[in-house]
Amino acid sequence: MDTLNLILATTFAPFAAFVLAILFLMRQPRLAQVVVIAGGTLSLGGAVSLLSAGPVEPLRFLWFTSGDIQLRFGFLLDGLSLMFGVAVALITLCVMVYSLGYMGHDPSKTRYFAMLALFEWAMLSFVYAVDLMQTFIFWELVGLASFFLIGFWYEKPSATAAAKKAFLMTRVGDVGLFIGVLMVLQVAGHFDVPGLLATEGGLVAQATPAVLTTITLLIFVGIVGKSAQFPLHTWLPDAMEGPTPVSALLHSATMVAAGVYLMARLHPLFMGSETTLGIILIVASMTALLAATMAMVATDIKRVLAYSSISQLGFMLLGLAAGSLFAGVFHLITHALFKALLFLCSGLFIHHLETNDMAQIGRGGGRRMRFATAGLVVGGAALAGIPPLGGFFSKEEIFAALGHDGVILFSVVALLAAFLTAYYTFRMIFLVTRPQQVEEVDVHGDHDRAEPLSMALPVMLLTVGAAVAGFWGGDIARGLGIEAGHHSLAAMAPALAVVALGVLVAWLDFGRQSATRTGFIARMPALEKLFTNGWYIDAFYDAIIVRITMLAATILHAAESRLLDANFDRLGFGVLGLGSGTRRLQNGWVQFYGGWAVVLVGLAAAYFGMSD
Amino acid sequence: MTLEGYLTLSLMLFCIGVFAVLSQRNLIAVLIGVELMMNAASLNVMAFNRFSVTDPTTGQIFVLIIIGLAAAEVAIFLSIIVNLYRTRRTIDAEQLTELQG
Repeated sequence: MDTLNLILATTFAPFAAFVLAILFLMRQPRLAQVVVIAGGTLSLGGAVSLLSAGPVEPLRFLWFTSGDIQLRFGFLLDGLSLMFGVAVALITLCVMVYSLGYMGHDPSKTRYFAMLALFEWAMLSFVYAVDLMQTFIFWELVGLASFFLIGFWYEKPSATAAAKKAFLMTRVGDVGLFIGVLMVLQVAGHFDVPGLLATEGGLVAQATPAVLTTITLLIFVGIVGKSAQFPLHTWLPDAMEGPTPVSALLHSATMVAAGVYLMARLHPLFMGSETTLGIILIVASMTALLAATMAMVATDIKRVLAYSSISQLGFMLLGLAAGSLFAGVFHLITHALFKALLFLCSGLFIHHLETNDMAQIGRGGGRRMRFATAGLVVGGAALAGIPPLGGFFSKEEIFAALGHDGVILFSVVALLAAFLTAYYTFRMIFLVTRPQQVEEVDVHGDHDRAEPLSMALPVMLLTVGAAVAGFWGGDIARGLGIEAGHHSLAAMAPALAVVALGVLVAWLDFGRQSATRTGFIARMPALEKLFTNGWYIDAFYDAIIVRITMLAATILHAAESRLLDANFDRLGFGVLGLGSGTRRLQNGWVQFYGGWAVVLVGLAAAYFGMSD
Repeated sequence: MTLEGYLTLSLMLFCIGVFAVLSQRNLIAVLIGVELMMNAASLNVMAFNRFSVTDPTTGQIFVLIIIGLAAAEVAIFLSIIVNLYRTRRTIDAEQLTELQG
């Protein structure tokens, strides 16, 4: 098959599955599952064969012309999009298969699977987009699919509130992104991504430094919203209200990574502005540290993972902003694998033991679930950065890039965040696998069914993936057209040291038999309170921004109802009253009409008689 | 007798007719009022015909047509009244107000 048919099949197979499922298969959930998984398989096959065929020239089709502006649709098939496309398709398929078990008892699973297919279509089209406007359109569609999936259990008020919050907060960022995209059009006159990135005649050459800084900062605002960076990160922990496979797919591995991917896609533009890079370094390092502190006090396993996702996204942006495209993309891909794995494992625990609390999972006998525990340990070790697992190598690249950049502060903050990462990850692992005593609470009564094949299979696959992903660094660098450097042991030493320290502290606090099972942070109640409340950022939003918005809304509502509505009502009721008054004249009494006719004709006669 | 005399008589007849149409509730009395008004108009036409038109036949043709029309109209009016009485058991104008808005 030629490239065009292959890429069309890759992107449109999930769309076709979505349309079929949502329009025709609402009452046949089994068939809908088959259709959606077939679509996902086709996509994965397409993405893999595209990757194995290697990068090709971009494909472009004119959508429409308006004046001098040409809007195109097309596919940009270079190393970056091909690799991330495979990661997206692979994790989506894993999550779809996993959902067969996880969502098996849900009455509206057709809708769930249809939305997964919708998400996959939007995400893949976003990844392969060649035109900045196309990128933006599918970026928004990804957000829409995320809204549907977070609010999937719409009977739960907390789920709908979380969906609304996610949608609105990412919208704040998208306004910035949209203005940035329009400014790109204003400066360059086209949306073609390869054209914008070209070293000669590209946007960096066309725009003045100030304009380039503005554009990249505006695009970064969109990234902050989508990738849940400070200060717009608070939607992501709430998004855990959605089903766990959704959290695995959207809110850790793929959708939130869209922001990082966009920055990687437009990396040459960002590299053109020192100011922007500085701001991104500040925001990303703050996010990495802040989210890690929140993760170390959370008790809900999904929230730990959510905060960890925010923190790791900060790491990726740090790598990109420090100038290393390879570091950011490498960590993006390893993180996608091990974080999806961790979420799917947490889903196994939650599904079987029906609790989100890590201590309760431990007491409920979580460690007897072999696949989940194995996945948790491997994924957690990869997240913490234990060699030789996935996260170790990619995080090493980020530290190397930061060290190369020269500002020591960011390296220190990143090391601190890495220490906290190792600490909270092993806190999670120890809480689940080393409880002080195990109560026999077997909710489903049958341990063999705790990990059905449909759920165990993706977990096994991702466990292997997370374990070996670190060795793909050379291939990923080659795919990006970059030569991967080799780091000496001395360069790796600080990162290894903080990771070892983090694991050790976690062992002392949670692992050993005589451990208190309370974190060292409990000795500093003020800090613990600060971290537990998420640095009061949400409280600040509620107290200030939400209140101001509500106040403005109340005032505007009053103005609307008292001024506009009331006056329109008055007009309407006035005409109505006039009508019912006039109606009384037509009383059906002939002589009344006759009398008025005589009077009026008499008056007319008198008038004309006098005017003579 | 002068033109004014005829016109005054015609006016009086017309006013009596109008009064009857407006004040009487019985539809037959209303019909009589209408007839009086028509005859007042005919008298008016004849008076002008006598005093100010050279060819006297003009007014006579008018009036003859009016009388013929009045006869036809009475036939229709009476049949309507009879039918009204049959269906509604009344010929009181104040009670026949079904066409009100």
